[in-house]
Amino acid sequence: MEAWIFFPVTYVSDRPLPQVWPLPASVYDRATGQAAFAHALEQMEFAESLGFDGVDVAEHHYAAASLTPNPTVMAGAVSQRIKKARIAMLGSTVPLTNPVRVAEEYAILDNLTGGRLVAGMLRGTPNEFLTYGTNSDESRAMYEEGVQLVIKAWTEPEPFGWQGRHYQYRTVSVWPRPLQEPHPPVLVSGNSADAATFAGRTRLMMGLSFMPVHLAARQTALYRQTAARAGWEPGAMDMLYRGFIHVAETDEQAAAEVAHTYWKVPEGTPQPAPEVQPSYSAEAAAPDAGGVATAERAAVEANTSRALSGEQFAKMGLQFCGSPDTVFAQIERLRDETGIGIIDFVFQGPSLPHAMLMRSLELFGRHVLPRMHEL
Amino acid sequence: MFEEDHVEADGFRIRFASAGAGDGAPLVHLHGAGGLELTPAHDLLARDRRVIAFEMPGFGDSPANTRHQRMPDLARTMLEAVTALGIETFDLMGTSFGGKAALWTTLLAPERVSALVLEAPAAIRPEGHAPPQAATAEEFAALFHAHPERVPPRPLPDPALREKTWPLVMRLMAPDRDAELEDAMGSLQVPVLAVFGDRDRVIPPEMGRIYKRLLPSCHLLFVYDAGHAISTDRPEAFTEAVADFLARHERFVVSQRSTMLFP
Repeated sequence: MEAWIFFPVTYVSDRPLPQVWPLPASVYDRATGQAAFAHALEQMEFAESLGFDGVDVAEHHYAAASLTPNPTVMAGAVSQRIKKARIAMLGSTVPLTNPVRVAEEYAILDNLTGGRLVAGMLRGTPNEFLTYGTNSDESRAMYEEGVQLVIKAWTEPEPFGWQGRHYQYRTVSVWPRPLQEPHPPVLVSGNSADAATFAGRTRLMMGLSFMPVHLAARQTALYRQTAARAGWEPGAMDMLYRGFIHVAETDEQAAAEVAHTYWKVPEGTPQPAPEVQPSYSAEAAAPDAGGVATAERAAVEANTSRALSGEQFAKMGLQFCGSPDTVFAQIERLRDETGIGIIDFVFQGPSLPHAMLMRSLELFGRHVLPRMHEL
Repeated sequence: MFEEDHVEADGFRIRFASAGAGDGAPLVHLHGAGGLELTPAHDLLARDRRVIAFEMPGFGDSPANTRHQRMPDLARTMLEAVTALGIETFDLMGTSFGGKAALWTTLLAPERVSALVLEAPAAIRPEGHAPPQAATAEEFAALFHAHPERVPPRPLPDPALREKTWPLVMRLMAPDRDAELEDAMGSLQVPVLAVFGDRDRVIPPEMGRIYKRLLPSCHLLFVYDAGHAISTDRPEAFTEAVADFLARHERFVVSQRSTMLFP
């Protein structure tokens, strides 16, 4: 198996932050924000030295959990630090952007990384659609079209026009071209039935996030079935699972650190008054009915604009948590029940300090990663 | 509403459907191998111009066409049919098989064609390309449409009709790569719009780039989520691009869509 590591570039504050989305800029401390970038770069270099196979970043807006609203900019910096591991965009949120721009930016990254880019393209969660005023009812259609347009922009050698449903271009001719031929591996989300079907039908890599193992198994089965109907067979390395992780010397210590540090919501954290919370969530989530709620979507559905509380996180639990032996057993179970070949670990709890993250990372790198590579 | 009529040209009695009126050049349409079939795109295009959709000799109820041996023969007849309608200059659109006929028509009289639209043209095909076959009505729909479930069910083409037209189609379509045609395309100065559905299962949309390379003034356009039958699968999308191209030719790359929300 391969182990990748996700860097949300989290704003880790020792002061209470309002549990709201969007998070007001008035509570932002510039030094804390800058430290998040420095820590992420230090952590990813350490991760590569430990033998991680991939490093990835993602797009999120207006929140402390992630300071990379344009993850491509961050990946440009990553490309100058990470020399061997794959660099994955997991990814740009296609309905929020210009797909041709995504094709252009990713092509730059593929050149900067010497062809180590994995091109993840995601749809976004309901709160992300509020960022630039994306119509959530149209977001799936925009997303599926946008992905096809990006691939066309990479593979069509002559200038072309695109007459879509949601995108229209009279002239597309992307320079630079990606270094990988015909293009970098493309990963799309598989968190809902629609999404897993799209991934299988279009012969793309599929990524799952934060869901319990039995639901992940359901999604990978659906992906394989759809792929078989489209005439191909996905391998383990076509499937990625993203989950939170925390490793300590013992299970008890890991649980205590998660309870008190990883998800900690400081006492007295202000909560938004119910009357100011927008009520878009049911509508926003409707197109995906029957899908599997991600952590973010669950949070939005449960409580409109509120960010995930520590309590909610703790109740959901981390997907991988405990001593190195325990975590390895959790990884084996995921592999056995889903056939997934890549796990994308989120070491960064919303309130986990840098030093504790580095220790969790080191324990994983020394005692779990070598065994995971044997799987 | 399209109305039917006939015109005598080059010894053939040629059926056509026409509708619309406008200040600009009329649009002449040459159909695919299945014969004349009006689509929603015809109605949309006829809102701003006169549209004349011919039924080429040998198709539909017309007698078997054994006279035309090569595509330029058919193109010459169609040019005479346009002349017989009293039309000097015109816009031309060819669909699939009709794309090759339209290319030859334009090559024979480039001074008379203002602009050429090729819809999923079949003039250039991969070497050894086997025309895809459909044994059932369901397979037929799946071959031509990106979403066969969205088109009304219809029976397979009448075998007798196919027996009559297919020898003509095969004869005039050959060869897969027509050196004479491709050489001539290199000096054609008429602006061309080559349109392919990104889910075309009959003619690979990758053929589009060859038109782009060969023709001095060619714009390649992909219609998203359309199969071979672009004008049925995405009529509004197809028509918008075609009408804009016919109105502005190469200048249609300059966007005129307003982004202003409020003054």
